[in-house]
Amino acid sequence: MAGAAPTLEVRGLTKLYPGVWALNGVDLDVRAGEVHCLLGPNGAGKSTLIKCVSGVVEPTGGEILLHGDPLPVGDPAASLGRGIATIYQELDLVEDLTVAESVYLAHEPRRGPFLDLDRMRSDSAALLARLGHEGISPRTRIGALRPAARQVVSIARALSRDVRLLIMDEPSAILDDGEVETLFDVVRRLTADGVAVVYISHRLDEIRRIGDRVTVLSDGRTVATGIAASTPTDRLVELMVGSAVEQLYPERPRATGDVALSVRGLRRLPEVRSASFEVHAGEVVGLGGLVGSGRSELLHLIYGLERPDEGEVWVEGERLEPGRPGRAIAAGLGFAPEDRKSQGLLLDWSQTKNVSLADLHRFQRGLLDIRAERAAVREQLQALKTVPDDGERIVRELSGGNQQKVVLARWLLHDCRVLLLDEPTRGVDVATKAQLYRVIIDLAAAGVAVLVVSSELGELVGICSRILVMREGELVFEVDGAAASERELLRHAVAPTDSADLIEEVR
Amino acid sequence: MTTESPPEGGAAVVEEPLTERRLGAFRIQEYALLIAVILLFVIGAVLRPDSFPTVDNVHNMLTQASVVGVIAVGMTFVIATAGIDLSVGSMLAAAGMFGGILVDPEGSTLVFILGAVFFATALGSVNAIAIAYGRVVPFIATLAMFSIARGIALLLNDKLPVGLLDLNGGSFGDPAAFSLLWFGTGRILGIPISVYVFLGITIAGWLVLNRTRYGRYVVAVGGNREAARIAGVPVRRTIMSVYVLSGFLVGIAAVLLCARLGSASPVSGNLYELDAIGAVVIGGTSLAGGKARIGGTFLGVLTFALIFSLMTQLDLSTEVQQVVKGAIVLGAVLLQRPEARL
Repeated sequence: MAGAAPTLEVRGLTKLYPGVWALNGVDLDVRAGEVHCLLGPNGAGKSTLIKCVSGVVEPTGGEILLHGDPLPVGDPAASLGRGIATIYQELDLVEDLTVAESVYLAHEPRRGPFLDLDRMRSDSAALLARLGHEGISPRTRIGALRPAARQVVSIARALSRDVRLLIMDEPSAILDDGEVETLFDVVRRLTADGVAVVYISHRLDEIRRIGDRVTVLSDGRTVATGIAASTPTDRLVELMVGSAVEQLYPERPRATGDVALSVRGLRRLPEVRSASFEVHAGEVVGLGGLVGSGRSELLHLIYGLERPDEGEVWVEGERLEPGRPGRAIAAGLGFAPEDRKSQGLLLDWSQTKNVSLADLHRFQRGLLDIRAERAAVREQLQALKTVPDDGERIVRELSGGNQQKVVLARWLLHDCRVLLLDEPTRGVDVATKAQLYRVIIDLAAAGVAVLVVSSELGELVGICSRILVMREGELVFEVDGAAASERELLRHAVAPTDSADLIEEVR
Repeated sequence: MTTESPPEGGAAVVEEPLTERRLGAFRIQEYALLIAVILLFVIGAVLRPDSFPTVDNVHNMLTQASVVGVIAVGMTFVIATAGIDLSVGSMLAAAGMFGGILVDPEGSTLVFILGAVFFATALGSVNAIAIAYGRVVPFIATLAMFSIARGIALLLNDKLPVGLLDLNGGSFGDPAAFSLLWFGTGRILGIPISVYVFLGITIAGWLVLNRTRYGRYVVAVGGNREAARIAGVPVRRTIMSVYVLSGFLVGIAAVLLCARLGSASPVSGNLYELDAIGAVVIGGTSLAGGKARIGGTFLGVLTFALIFSLMTQLDLSTEVQQVVKGAIVLGAVLLQRPEARL
């Protein structure tokens, strides 16, 4: 404990937004060379805290010390200049730039008035090598890289400015299990160099694997700081939610009814090579596989967002017209897309308008019956325990979990027969995850056929009646949910030949 | 309740101020416009007490405003989908000329009206198909139509205007007959006919935009096209429809204008696109799409009308007026900026 000042020290930090304390006394110290995990439910103040440290938000009170010296607050340039780098969940890379250009974006090495391209390339290659990724060429376009590789480029960008403190906001959210290993490897190299890392994640198992110490936030306060990452899960969850969480996974459903969804020989190259399977009413079927294995694309084909090269989709005995989401919805399909914000929601609309969008004809009596619309939507929001549930709140201002509930409420209102869920719990805290699992299981119990895509294999094992594994556009494995293990699923998800090279370029 | 989900409850509380701030800014914008309208009127009344606050001048302002106003209602729909229609001024001239040559030298008012509305709708449909099916960017497609429609307007009668005074019932219109001039100069309860048309279309536009499924779709497509598609909104059809609607309303505006002037001119409607877009934007409709305010557009049209009437009465040249007009539009777009960032 004694010795040099910690890399980062936060003392009694507060942030007052009009009428509300977003941070209400946060203490934290992060030592050089450690991975310090930040835990807390959505809205606990994690984001506000890291924004204060990176200078984007000016705190109301308290102090932030870097190597024992006070950090100028509310000054992003000062934070950056002192070696604080932040890697956000949504990677802020430009697809059309090359790797080298991205690493040196906004601080390009120059020779006279011109860019020093040679130095940019050789220096970024050196940085990538330092991270153990010589394989990524500085000349590659960002658009051709997989998410994990893009993340490595983001980290290289941070390193290009001599980073002393690296803040990572849910870095694993966009990665599959294999790619997470790659990320951890990079993080270990950084800490070995003496970089301090603040790591935010909702996945408790990750924290145990990569973290040294943990700080738990709740309602803008530090409820525990500097505790060992090996603290038992139950204890961590208890600290986060203030009470022991109910069982994370509810009783798994069994298939009860007739075939609700039948996928026959669906194919769209290059992503989906061949897929045939059935989902029964009352069943929750999981679709696992690595990012890029064609899982999401398969859902898009079923829902009609893309037209298949060949193959058919049948819903309750009727063939769907390909490439027509409107028809799919009319036939009883519902779809919660992977990226809620860009694909699922109109962020500047109220909850009510978002929920009713797929079902407006129900409220049209000449003009729209606004009152009936609000009442019907509120009922669904309440059933999902959305906070708040009045329907008038602008969706942008809700937490991730509540946004997801708005998407689900849309399909509850629609009374859909087959529900397609793509990463339904991404970026959602543990307590809300448990609620979402409950909702999914309840829907199945009510006779809905559910097809879930998830990168969290543990989640599939936890809630699914049956699990399918996809690899390189084909369904390669099927197992009963009760008999499945994460290890086995991962083994089938990773191609036997190239399991090591997860960051190859996309063809 | 608190035992159910304490973390989510906490989240809601923390995020409260955002809502407040935004709703606040939003209200301020609408009230500001109303205050601007009143203020402009008062300024006019003080500076030109004899000529500005008169019944005649108010009628005059409203009659002129109604032409741009009808166009601006259509423009609100277009901009709500994150599109733009630069061709409205040219289409206005082309529609008037097309109706004009149909009834030249003499014919019925009804033929003129149907002809003008039909032709504008047809031109709008060309925009619609190019944008929705040809996937041409709205800016480019309607910029092309801006040129095409003006060219057609000039070609139709060899660059000459067409007189419409002799339609159905003589030069100044037998009030009993169905005359075109009645639209331009007639009054009901002392209020010009064109003002009724403008008001009626504004109210209808508000109802369609805020109280029908179609209106919801229009704004949804502008707010997030991908999310709208996934929710089952017929995106392409919706986008197509707003350009057809814009053309149709331009046709009605053309009838109002020709009726007031008693002729169709191939050079009319110059810069009307700027007036309409300006009114829509200062009314609070987002150029980025996803937010439409017909009420704001209405106030925006009145604001413009007052400003120009005032400037005319202060003997400021049309050149000065053009500079002011452009500056107001630029200012309005700049004011939209912080909101877009949130």
